[in-house]
Amino acid sequence: MNKGIRNPGFRLFFKLSLMVWAVCVLYPLIWTIFGALKDNQQFFLGKPWNLPKLPLLWSNFSYVWEKYNFGDYFVNSLVVTLVSTILGVLLSATTAYAIARYTFRGNGLLYYSYLSYMMIPTFLGIVPLFFLLNDFHLTNKLFGLILVYMITAVPFAVFVLVGFFKSLPKELEEAAAIDGASHYATFFRIMLPLAKPGLISVAIITVLNIWNEYVFALVLVNDPTKYTMPVAIAVLQGEMQYRTEWGPLFAALFISMGPILLFYIIFQRQITEGITAGALKG
Amino acid sequence: MTKRSKFLKAWSLVLLIGMLSLAGCGSNNANNPEPTTKPTDSPQTTDNANEGAVKLTGDFEIQYFVGGYGDAWWKQVISEFQQLHPELKIKESAGAKINEQMKPRWIQGSPPDFVYIDGAGSNTRQMVTDDQLMDITDWLKEAENADGKKILDLLIAQPEEYQSGKFHAVPLVFGSWGTFYDKALFKEKGWEAPTDFESFLALGDKIKAEDEMSVYIHTGVYPYYINGALLDPAIVAMNNYDTSIIKRINSLEEGVWKSEPVVKALNQIVEMSEKGFIDKGSPALNHTDSQSQWLQHKAAFIPTGIWVESEMANDIPDGFEFGFLPSIGQDNGGKFVANPYISTVAIAKKAKNPEAAKAFLQYIYTEKNGKAWAELSKAPSNIKADLEGTNAPALTKEAAKYYNSPNTVVSPEVVIPEELVTARNNATVALTKGEITPEQWGDRLEEATAKIRAKEQK
Amino acid sequence: MKERTAAATVMTKQKVSTRIGTAKTKRNLFIASFILPTLLLYLVFTVYPMFKGIYLSLFDWSGGSETYNFIGLANFKEMLDDGIILKAIRNDYILVVGKVIGFMMMSMFFAVALTRFHIKGSGFYRIVYFIPNVLSIVVVGVLWRYVYNPNLGFLNSLISLFTEKPFEFAWLGDKWSIFALLPPSIWAGIGFTIILLVAGILSIPSSLFEAADIDGASQWNQFWLITLPLTWEQMKTSVLWIVMTTLNGSFVIVTIMTFEGGVDNATQVMGSYLYMNAFKFGKFSYGSAIGVLILVLSLITTATLQRLMKRDTIELT
Repeated sequence: MNKGIRNPGFRLFFKLSLMVWAVCVLYPLIWTIFGALKDNQQFFLGKPWNLPKLPLLWSNFSYVWEKYNFGDYFVNSLVVTLVSTILGVLLSATTAYAIARYTFRGNGLLYYSYLSYMMIPTFLGIVPLFFLLNDFHLTNKLFGLILVYMITAVPFAVFVLVGFFKSLPKELEEAAAIDGASHYATFFRIMLPLAKPGLISVAIITVLNIWNEYVFALVLVNDPTKYTMPVAIAVLQGEMQYRTEWGPLFAALFISMGPILLFYIIFQRQITEGITAGALKG
Repeated sequence: MTKRSKFLKAWSLVLLIGMLSLAGCGSNNANNPEPTTKPTDSPQTTDNANEGAVKLTGDFEIQYFVGGYGDAWWKQVISEFQQLHPELKIKESAGAKINEQMKPRWIQGSPPDFVYIDGAGSNTRQMVTDDQLMDITDWLKEAENADGKKILDLLIAQPEEYQSGKFHAVPLVFGSWGTFYDKALFKEKGWEAPTDFESFLALGDKIKAEDEMSVYIHTGVYPYYINGALLDPAIVAMNNYDTSIIKRINSLEEGVWKSEPVVKALNQIVEMSEKGFIDKGSPALNHTDSQSQWLQHKAAFIPTGIWVESEMANDIPDGFEFGFLPSIGQDNGGKFVANPYISTVAIAKKAKNPEAAKAFLQYIYTEKNGKAWAELSKAPSNIKADLEGTNAPALTKEAAKYYNSPNTVVSPEVVIPEELVTARNNATVALTKGEITPEQWGDRLEEATAKIRAKEQK
Repeated sequence: MKERTAAATVMTKQKVSTRIGTAKTKRNLFIASFILPTLLLYLVFTVYPMFKGIYLSLFDWSGGSETYNFIGLANFKEMLDDGIILKAIRNDYILVVGKVIGFMMMSMFFAVALTRFHIKGSGFYRIVYFIPNVLSIVVVGVLWRYVYNPNLGFLNSLISLFTEKPFEFAWLGDKWSIFALLPPSIWAGIGFTIILLVAGILSIPSSLFEAADIDGASQWNQFWLITLPLTWEQMKTSVLWIVMTTLNGSFVIVTIMTFEGGVDNATQVMGSYLYMNAFKFGKFSYGSAIGVLILVLSLITTATLQRLMKRDTIELT
C-alpha cells in the first residue's frame, strides 16, 4: 500500500495551499451574499470585507426580482434550459444510438463531423446565424434560442453517448430481436433505460452549459422581456452605471448563482464523472 | 456652408431666450408674481379635439434611453398618449443599455417605430448614414403640435441637417457639457474657480500640493465625456473662438485633426497629464463611478454634463453645491466656449406604425410637455416654454447664466460617424495616460477619417 | 416426404428473403429516422452558418442592405493595416499562454496535493474547487470587476492597508489590463483541469510509486518520472481545451469586465472585435473575416500543439 508522500513539512505546505485555495473559491460566494445585504453607503464608506450592517437588507432581493424583472428572467432561463436540454438529449441519444449500434455507410463520417464541432470555434457562425434566425422570424423568441441551444448541445452529448451505447452488451439486441421487438421498441424499452446514467450525466452538463450561456443569448435575443439570466446580469451591470445600486446587483448575482450551486451540490458526482468521461476519451 | 453659420447664429439667439426664461424662473418668482398665462396656454381642450380626429390602432413601439434624465417624463407622456389612444398597443423598449440591445434590430430592419437617441452608443448621424431614420423634412415643415402650434417654431435648437436640406431627427433635449466643481468646497478652501487654462493650472498645482484629492477625475470608460467637455471647447477656443473648425471636423475634412487649434488643445491635456492632475483610477471608471468619486471629494474637477445633478441625486452629500464652467481651455482674458449636448427623437424609416409615431411626436412637442421635462428630468428641454414656477435645478440656472453671457461662445456639437467616435475615444484616453503624443493622436484620427471618407464616397 | 420438405425449404427461403428485404428497409428507415432530424438541424443551425461566415468574409456587406459586393480578399487586406487586429491577436495569445501556464501549474499542484498526500477532506476540496466552473462567466466577470474597482474594490482596499495613501490603481484601465483578466479566467476554469488531472493520477497504479519508494527515488523524481509522463494525455486534453475555449470564448470575460475592449483597445480580443465590428458598426463582412481569422488561428494552434505534445503513449502492462 502506497501511503503517499509523508514528509511533514511538505504535507503542511500542500495542506495549507489547499485551504487557501478553498478560501479563494468560497469567499467570493459568501461575499456576494454579504454584498446583497448592504446599502450603497456601506459600499462607498465601508471596506469591501465588512459584514453587512443590521438590519440586513433582504429587500434587495425582492427589489431586483420585481423592479428589474429578475423573476421573469429566472423563468425564461428555466424554460430555455429545461426544454433545450430535453430536446437536445433526445436528438443526441437517437443519433448516438444509431452510430454506436448500427453499421451503415457514412457512420464514421457522421461521428467525426459531430466531433469536429467541438474543435472548431463557433464564433465564426454567429453573424450568419443571427440573420438565419431572423429570416425564420426566430430572433427575439425563446424558441429560437431553444433551437440553437439544443443543437449546440448535440456534439458533446453524441460523443459521450456513443461511448455509452457501445459499452452495452451485444446480447441485449439479439435477445430483443428474437422476441420480435422492433428497432424502436428495442431502443425505447431496453437500450434507453440502460443508458440512463449516461443520459443523466449528459443532461446535467448540458443544463450547466445552457444556464450559463451568454453569447448566443446576447446576439439572438434583444427583447428585454425575453432575457435569460446571464444577459440580464450583464445588462444590470450596465444599468448600474446610471443608478448605482450595488446591493441589488449582488442580489441578482446570487439569484443567478443559487440554483446552479444547489444543482451542482446535488449532482456533483455525476458532473465530475461525466466531465472526466467525456474528456478522457477525447 | 454659409447657411450653417447663419443657422448657428439663430440658434445661439434662440438659445439665449430659452435659457433666459429658464434662468428667470428661480431667481425672481418670489418677488415677481407674474401674470403670464397666455391665452394659448390652455391646451386641454384643443388637445383632445385635435387628437380625437385620428384614431390610432395597432402596435406602436417606442425606444428610449434611460440615463441621467431618468424615465419619469417618458412614463408620463406615454401613459397620457395611451389614454388618448386606448386602442393603440404601446410597447416601451427602454433602459440604460437599450442602444446596444436594439442595435441588431435596427440592422436587421425590424426597428421600433419611434426612438429617442441619447446615451452611450447612440449616434444620430450614423443612423442617418445607415438609412435607418425616416426623412421627415416635408412633414416637419408643416407639422403642428397637439396644441396646433408649429413644432419648428417651438424649438430652441433647430434640427441638424445631416444630409443637406433634410431633416431626419428633431432635437428634444438641450443639455450641456462642462467642467464641474463643488462651490462649497472651493469656498471652504478659499479657491477661486478658474476662468482660463492658466488659472486652472495654477489652482491645480495648489490642489496637488495639498495632496488631499486629485485635481481632475474623468470617465475613462466613456472618453466621449472628456472629449465633449474638455477637448472640443478647447479646440474652439484655440481657433480664436471661431466655431467653423467644428464644421470642418464634422465634414471629415482632411488634416483637421492635425491642425494647430486641435494640437494646441491636445497639448493642454498632455500638460494636465504630465503635471499629474488626472486621477489615476479614471481609465477604469464609468460615469457614475467617477461622479460619485468626485461627489465624495476624491477629486476637485470633473468633465461631465448638466444632467449630473439629477443623475446623482441619491448620492449628493449634504452641503454640496454644484459649480459649472463651460470650458477651461481658453487663454487668459478669453471667452468661455459652451458645448451643448443635444439629444434627438426620430421615426424609424421602417416604422410599422409611422402614423402613431408622427402623432406621438406631435403630442410630446408641446409647451406643457416642455415644462414637464424640466420638472421631471431636471434639465432644460429643447422646447421653448415658459418655465415660470417650475423647479429647475440650480445647476441648470448656473449653466443658463453662462449660455446667456456675451462672454460665451456657443459651439456646435461634434457629430461624427460612430467608428470615428470610437477611434477618438481610444486615442484621447491613451493621450491622458501619456501613452501617445498629440501627433500620434492626429495620425490615428486622420487614418480613421480617411477610411470613412473613402467608404462614404463609394 | 422429401419433396414436401424440399418445397417447404423453398418456401421458407423465399419467406426469409422477403422478410430480410423488409427487415432491411425497416432497419434503414429506423436508422434514417434516428439520424436525419438531428443531422438536418445540425446542418442548418451550425454547419451552414459557419460556411456562410466564410462566404460573407469575401464580400462587402453591411447587414441591412440588399447589395452584396464581392471584394475577394479585401477584408483580409484591410486586416493587415488594422492595428487593432494585431493587438487583438496579441491579447488572445497572451490569454492563451498565460492560461496554459497558470492552469497547468496550479492544477497539477492541486491535483498532486489532492491525491498523493491522502489528506483528510480531499473529497471536500474536490467538490469546492469545481464550484467556479459551474458559474456563468458573466457572474465571474461582474464579481471580479468589483474586486478590481479602483476605489471601492477588494484588491486596492487590501493593498491600501499596507500603503500610506489609498492605493488607486486602475487594474482594468491600464495598457496591460489584459493580464488582469488572467486571474479571473484561471479562478473560473481551473476546477475542470484539476478534475482531469486528479483522475489521471488516480489511474496510475500505486505499485509504481511503491516501487519508486523502495528504489529510494525522491518525491521530485517520482513526480517527473511517474506522475507527469503518465498524466500526459490529460495534460494534452487540458491544454487543447484551454486553447479552444480561450480563442472562442475570451469575448465574454472581455466585454463583461472591460466593455468594448478596455482603454484604447488594451484588452481587445478577436471575438470582441468581431462583435464590435459586426453589431456595433454594422460591418458584418469584416466581422466575418475576423471569424475566419479565429478559425484559422485556432486550427493552426491546436494542430501545432498536438504535434508538439505528441509523445509515445506509455502502455502499462
